[in-house]
Amino acid sequence: MPCTTSANGGWLRSDLRFAPADRSGLAAPAVARFLLQRVALGALVIVFASALTFFFVNLAPGGPASIMRFDVSPEQREALIRLMGLDRPVPQRYMEWLAGALHGDLGTSLLTNEPVTGRIADRLPNTLTLAGSALLISIVLGIPIGVVQAVRRGKPIDHLLSLVSAIGLSVPVFWLGIVLILVFAVSLHVLPSAGVTSVSSDTFGDRLAHLVLPAIALATTILPTVARFTRSSMIEVLHEDYVRTATSKGLRPRTVMMRHALRNALIPVVSAIGALVPRLIGGTVVTEAVFGWPGMGRLALEAAQGRDYPLVTGLTVVVAAIAVVATLLVDLAYTRIDPRLRLA
Amino acid sequence: MLFQVRHPFAIPALVIVGALLVSACTGAAQPGSSTSPSAQGAPVAGGTVTIPIGADPTLNPWSPNAFVESLFINRAIFEGLTKPGKDLAPAPDLAESWNTAADGLSWTFKLRSGVKWSDGNAFSADDVAFTFNDIVLKPDLGAQNRASYAAVKSVTVVDSNTVRFDLSRKFAALPSFLAYNSGILPKHILSSNPLTTASFNKGVPVSTGPFKVEKYTSGQSVSLVRNDNYFGPKPYLEKVVFTVVPDPNTQIAQALAGDVTIMILDNKAAVDRVKTANGLAVVSRPLVQYYWLALNQTDTRFTDVRVRQAFVHAIDRQAIIKSVESGYGSIANSPITPALAAYYDPSLASKYPYDQAKAKDLLAQAGWTPGPDGVLQKNGQPFKFTMDVGQRGVLEPVNALIQQDLKKVGVIAELNTMEWNAYIQKDVVRREYTATVNWWTYPSDPDVFPYYHSSAAGKGFNIPGYQDPKLDDLLVQGQSASDLDARKAVYKQLQAYTSETLPYLFLWYPQEIDVISTSLNGVPELGLRDAMHYLGEWWLAKK
Repeated sequence: MPCTTSANGGWLRSDLRFAPADRSGLAAPAVARFLLQRVALGALVIVFASALTFFFVNLAPGGPASIMRFDVSPEQREALIRLMGLDRPVPQRYMEWLAGALHGDLGTSLLTNEPVTGRIADRLPNTLTLAGSALLISIVLGIPIGVVQAVRRGKPIDHLLSLVSAIGLSVPVFWLGIVLILVFAVSLHVLPSAGVTSVSSDTFGDRLAHLVLPAIALATTILPTVARFTRSSMIEVLHEDYVRTATSKGLRPRTVMMRHALRNALIPVVSAIGALVPRLIGGTVVTEAVFGWPGMGRLALEAAQGRDYPLVTGLTVVVAAIAVVATLLVDLAYTRIDPRLRLA
Repeated sequence: MLFQVRHPFAIPALVIVGALLVSACTGAAQPGSSTSPSAQGAPVAGGTVTIPIGADPTLNPWSPNAFVESLFINRAIFEGLTKPGKDLAPAPDLAESWNTAADGLSWTFKLRSGVKWSDGNAFSADDVAFTFNDIVLKPDLGAQNRASYAAVKSVTVVDSNTVRFDLSRKFAALPSFLAYNSGILPKHILSSNPLTTASFNKGVPVSTGPFKVEKYTSGQSVSLVRNDNYFGPKPYLEKVVFTVVPDPNTQIAQALAGDVTIMILDNKAAVDRVKTANGLAVVSRPLVQYYWLALNQTDTRFTDVRVRQAFVHAIDRQAIIKSVESGYGSIANSPITPALAAYYDPSLASKYPYDQAKAKDLLAQAGWTPGPDGVLQKNGQPFKFTMDVGQRGVLEPVNALIQQDLKKVGVIAELNTMEWNAYIQKDVVRREYTATVNWWTYPSDPDVFPYYHSSAAGKGFNIPGYQDPKLDDLLVQGQSASDLDARKAVYKQLQAYTSETLPYLFLWYPQEIDVISTSLNGVPELGLRDAMHYLGEWWLAKK
């Protein structure tokens, strides 16, 4: 099986465009077996990530924020360590955590005494909305930009868009975020400055307005990469024999582009997008802080700074699960795009 | 207590965005607009005030997880026996009056009658006894701020309106300390789990103040509405909303966009930009806070007072104030801040002028002479040490400035910058440090016993580990003297003595800069967190 790589294995699959012949004849049981194997591997990845995180975050210098305060006396510190059970060995605490996690209980937050699952469930929809919107923007804008660049390769428009891409990649998100707020909220008064809703109104339109700036800021972390991938992949495909054949058959250029070239060019792009999802989730940390967006990124930052061990581990598990699912979805999308990989 | 930005991007953002804010054009700029809000006639009722806070608050003043962002709301909804008066002296809150016994070993507080909790239950002396006996004085709970009450043995209910604090030693500052993050909690709600009840700390707590929590939305906002069971006059404001905005620069942008009614300006570099904004006023407020440089007294180089005095002469503190505080601060030479006007001795302000020659001279007297490379040395050893820098607030630029100043007199300080949490563990918990800069914020009283007494050296709040019987004696005298004049005399001596001996190297007293909408009135001239005790008096002019 060529497709047994885990979370970040998407990159490896770009060479599958030249897929071996045996892939084209995949039968349904083979697909089921493949999926089952991927799910099992994904579960292993998640458990491994949780163990690694739990041990490393416990190894990190410092401790839960309540005991690492400047104004906490030594005896208070000892009382709190006992109360939180941190005087027990790390492996023991991990096994207890794992036992709970297998039953869906990710532990209790050391910072708020609330269940970790509840805290994440509160924030997850916001992060998915933000990351999903950013992903959508990146795909809807990134792919056409890449196509235009490929078709107009070496022309001024190609250079201009490359320049814009390079700028987009190199501008830090926290800076861009503040600039967007200053321009659109402070100067032009057309969009809200921060938060997920207004204090007074909570309508769909209001939520949408709040989403615009953070989604744009976050999209810049991956949009240029999507465009560049599309461009290079498209350029490669345009030199393929079948494109030349299609053109010489007298098909309209538009048909050649969309049906023959783009479809094939998208295969590595889809893989790349799958691999970009973790980067997107990482980008939410900064974006959410700048825009006061109540998502998981901000929660992760608070959890890490406050050494909220169960919360950090719980968040890692959820992010790992998202990455695993994204990779799986990419594999499925892949079979839709590549006719040779179409299921049964 | 530590008040400051808790944000990893604060420093780079400060530099870049500071410049950006100065140059950004909003079109609405109106140079020369008023810098202090003016009274606008008689108070009117109604309106919503919006205040940004840096993170989700913990609505329980005694929770170890109640960090600086929690102070705003906790001070607005929970009431102590006393509160800081507008002159910072203790003023009545849940207690109407108080007095100390002749031997000074107990204080009796007469409680206000007819007070109700926001859920309608009656408040009584039992709640006070519960808060102290079952929370603060219980060592297993690790209640926040409990170290302040080390002298309290127990609290006795005399009758339903009277409580008595029994002490193990004299504690003249008790009424001041009770005004500081010492809100009384409801026994009928929290008796089984006083500090970790999430539905209270992170939900809708029961409180006695003029406002109560309406809704807590994690990561977004906490809204307060009037508490109809409040014993005092009905507050003017209809609603107070605290929005959770972690990035200090986003807070500024929100203020410029008109989305904020009042806030603390953490990034002081932006003060000029905010001053020119339409509809906003900028005011400065004194704080009970000072920055210091601690030199670990287990390092014999620093036990020589001449070395400590030389360092203070060598550091250009005025330049630091100008650079990191935009000028909002004054030079400190003792732990008593100008905010404590009744006690502060202004004559000490000019004690250590910036003077490199004097510094070199003092260091030479202590045996440190320039080596061939210009670095001071003694017995062949160069004067080199490491300063640990916690990543928070202005500490990074301040350390860089101190490093440059010390280099000019031949002392090499290497900076070791650390993530905040790890820094606390190394420098505060383990005391594995040589030199470090930080600050103290303390209750509005000159009793600084916990930070200076030799009993706290090496483990408590005496960070440098300085031990001096004469200073110990002054600290105890201050706690024992109960009338104001006697206390003033002791603390004047204490200021003179600490400025001479420099247990900590005093750097500066910061001021707070508040940004206020010009339509907001009735806010007392206190630091904003202290002004929250007076939220019932705030009002908004009709637009």
